[in-house]
Amino acid sequence: MTEHIVLKNGTIFDPMNGIDGEVMDICISNGKIVESAPAGAKVIDLKGQAVMAGGVDPHSHIIGSKLNVARLTSPESNRHHPYPATKKTRSGVAGIIPSSYATGYLYSAMGYTTVVEPALPATKALGSWEEIEDIPGLDIGMLPLFCNSMISFKYIEEGDISGLAAYIAWTLKKVGGLGVKVVNPGGTYAWAYGKNVCGLDDEVPEWDVTPRTIMTGLSEAVQKLGLPHQMHFHPTNLGKPGNVYTTMQQLDALKATKPSGKKKETVHLTHMAFDCLGVVEEGMANWKDVASGGLTFADYYNKKKHFTADLGQITFGPSMTMTGDGPFQYSLYMMSGGKAKWSNIPVDVELPGGAGIVPFTFEPKSAANAVQWVGSIEFALSIKDLWRVFLSTDHPNGGPFLKYPLMMSWLMSKKQRDIWLEKVHKFASERSTIANIDREYSLNDIAITTRAAPAKILGLEKTKGHLGVGADADIAVYGFIPEKTDLASNPDLILKYFTQTQLTFKGGVQVSKKGIVGKQLQSRVISVHPELNEDLDRRINSELEEMMSKWFSHSFSNYPVPKRYREHIEMPTVIDATSIQA
Amino acid sequence: MTEANNIHKDVPCTFCGCLCDDLIIEVEGDRIVKNTNGCPISKERFVGHMENRCLEPTVKGNTVTLEKAVERAVEIIMSSKRLLIYGLSSTENDAQREAYRLAELTGSVVDNTTSVCHGPTILGAQESGEATTALAEVRHRSDLVIYWGANPAAAHPRHIPHYIRQPGEYIKDPKVDRKIWLVDVRATTTSRMVDKFIKIEPGTDLEVLQTLRALIRGNKLDVSEVGGISIPDLEEIATTMKTAKYGALFFGLGLTQSWGRHRNIDAAIRLIQDLNAHTKWGLMPMRGHYNVSGANKTCTWVTGYPYAVDFARGYPRFQPGEYTAVDMLARGEADALLNIAADPVAHFPRGAVSHLMSIPVINIDPKFNMTSQVADVNIPAAIAGIECDGAATRMDGLPLYLRKVIEPPPGVIPDREILKMIIDAVAKEMK
Repeated sequence: MTEHIVLKNGTIFDPMNGIDGEVMDICISNGKIVESAPAGAKVIDLKGQAVMAGGVDPHSHIIGSKLNVARLTSPESNRHHPYPATKKTRSGVAGIIPSSYATGYLYSAMGYTTVVEPALPATKALGSWEEIEDIPGLDIGMLPLFCNSMISFKYIEEGDISGLAAYIAWTLKKVGGLGVKVVNPGGTYAWAYGKNVCGLDDEVPEWDVTPRTIMTGLSEAVQKLGLPHQMHFHPTNLGKPGNVYTTMQQLDALKATKPSGKKKETVHLTHMAFDCLGVVEEGMANWKDVASGGLTFADYYNKKKHFTADLGQITFGPSMTMTGDGPFQYSLYMMSGGKAKWSNIPVDVELPGGAGIVPFTFEPKSAANAVQWVGSIEFALSIKDLWRVFLSTDHPNGGPFLKYPLMMSWLMSKKQRDIWLEKVHKFASERSTIANIDREYSLNDIAITTRAAPAKILGLEKTKGHLGVGADADIAVYGFIPEKTDLASNPDLILKYFTQTQLTFKGGVQVSKKGIVGKQLQSRVISVHPELNEDLDRRINSELEEMMSKWFSHSFSNYPVPKRYREHIEMPTVIDATSIQA
Repeated sequence: MTEANNIHKDVPCTFCGCLCDDLIIEVEGDRIVKNTNGCPISKERFVGHMENRCLEPTVKGNTVTLEKAVERAVEIIMSSKRLLIYGLSSTENDAQREAYRLAELTGSVVDNTTSVCHGPTILGAQESGEATTALAEVRHRSDLVIYWGANPAAAHPRHIPHYIRQPGEYIKDPKVDRKIWLVDVRATTTSRMVDKFIKIEPGTDLEVLQTLRALIRGNKLDVSEVGGISIPDLEEIATTMKTAKYGALFFGLGLTQSWGRHRNIDAAIRLIQDLNAHTKWGLMPMRGHYNVSGANKTCTWVTGYPYAVDFARGYPRFQPGEYTAVDMLARGEADALLNIAADPVAHFPRGAVSHLMSIPVINIDPKFNMTSQVADVNIPAAIAGIECDGAATRMDGLPLYLRKVIEPPPGVIPDREILKMIIDAVAKEMK
């Protein structure tokens, strides 16, 4: 392994450092980007190639029991997509829900180097750490779910934000989490009673909490702890026509949370394509009247600056829907006339009611699907500040991450959009403003929305998402001459070049070349360990021991993920939360 | 790690899929002297861990060094054209992961004991999905628990006393607020423990399930009884199921492996899905081997498929009925067997065993079993969860860390280490 490398003459797109298509050299030493490399460094000439930081994907379901249940119940999703072994790499399957090794390799081939699993049931975290052992080539983060947990409810009911923050801190340390995920707050819990919630002040069975108190309580706790990543939020009413209005109401409710640090944003709204459906004028909130909510939401986004968002773009074709939103998944199953394979996985104490899984095919000729497809594209092309957004398909919900290049092509090429508008149901054009939008994302815009902005949103901007000195040497080299390649007029080239990089480096090590992974690198785990003061630490340990012993069906001492699974791959960031009073 | 006073608390039991993790294990010197909280089977497994042990590797019955045994195992593997790797459900996850690596390297078939227990359950789930539940969730909320074709009193002794007949947050008195029913074809130890025993005629599970579905949907039937149960009784059962607050259906091999097999499970899953239109229900297979759930899970994330995986083409293919161990043997296709932590000679049908007897067998197990009697190579292994650590998965998907409470016998190493030695040697041969 070469420790020092100079990448010469590449055309660099590094928006975090204000570099938009300049020919420059990048020096790598011991896995980091440095000012200059020592003599004898390996020189690689990248003349006529585009260079960006490694892709950062903060929302992709690549680990955990819901993924394994999906693979187990739907072998047909992978059967025709074998991924053969080579001398240096393992085999697997690479359909819409790839196996573990293939997941790592496919991300490497695409130039992505950091991926976050956004729905970790903390009590099952041990299994996720084992799985990460078999997903190579990435830095991986995990966001535990706190939104339907009986323990969260107890603290929220009592208005005890310190206790809630301490529970979050304890969990992040014991299982190695990166941030806080909220999914349909109160709604999944209500699903344990066959119910759901929709309004901000709806009742949640058995507890004196509401969606409002849960989401605001958790967002305040996140700010109190000073976590680098703001609360990662999947709102109530997912997938319902007209939900753009309730989503904006919920974001308004969250505006009350004051940022505790420099970062202004206190909430990340995830997979907006599923949360921001509009209705036609004077229409009802049903599928017949569904319209794009993209422009409505873009206007809101342009005015309100307290949140970030990602697309959750649907990409047509087979997908696998999986969310911690049990009642939503059940409604999808009911929409299939009870024919779809519906799976539901409750998790002791932390997710009563349970996460759900339903295979789903998004059809271009379906009016509802076409409108949902166009909504997120309209949004992405109508917002001013790209630094608060990133591109995602909510893999594998809107489609597999393998379709990111297709999503990029819709944003980068008006020609491509016009081709697709011909293929999809006419409501996509009729019920949106897409036909009048000429904007095309530049390579710089792509670099912002696939690396720089997501790194910032995750709070990892020191080492991820850019190519400046001090960054991790995670680098994607694309095999086209940016100055001479008209991608907007040739959308097929976007698919070609962004599906497989020319070279991908992870931590200064070349992991793939022309899409072929030649080096299997052990993944690492990015986590956050908030330090509490002694009093609060003592208090939370004793309270959690009491609650967990009473509520879980396994022993309190067996909850944390043992060191043996963590110490060789975990890179914890310790943050000081000692100012939180017990 | 042994603790100073040699008393280990919160130790997970490695017998059945309940994975009860409240055992207190006391060790004196090189002996386990006491298992508190464990069921009789668990006590026997821990206290009797040295009984019937295979302590030395053998080749053709002759004691050899570990290195020699591995060498012979590698010879068998290298000269076979169609190696079958089988077992894995009574060992920890890391050993399973090594087995997949060996299967991939050698282009072999790898299968776990699922194929002879809850294989049809997985096939049923591949038809219909699976609306599951979780053990603490059932304890807190379930007012109606039904066991179907299962005898937990014998096979999962603490399932009822430890998980079900316990108070929960919303079920204060488990004897009053929660009803436990059993559906089976004969009276069993469990039938004497439950609130209601519904005896059906053998082989009628599918009909009874489909009848319940029809009744729950409000359909009228023009028969007077199904499976030996009168329609009014079935109507009463259906109504009680529909009006329960939170129902849980635990099913065993009596449903999975009886007439109808995966169709039974498919119907049970659809019944539970139908019930969710009225109230909340979930179901769960009573997984037998303590880590058969883990075997499905690790196999699924590594290969994409839960069992019956063939690597002959350099990538995983899934085909139950073709790559399942019994079928591979009964067809005479496997020309060598590597068996890890299972006993196919004791459990497989005669046709499969008779072919097994005719091919070279490598057997990795802590104890003597029927397979070790016919194996060319026997390699003793440390008992996972007693003599080495690891991870396993409870029947409801909860992963737990297994403890090492005592040193393995001298020279005896964990399954994963043995497999690594074999893999290293095979990789060297293939270079």
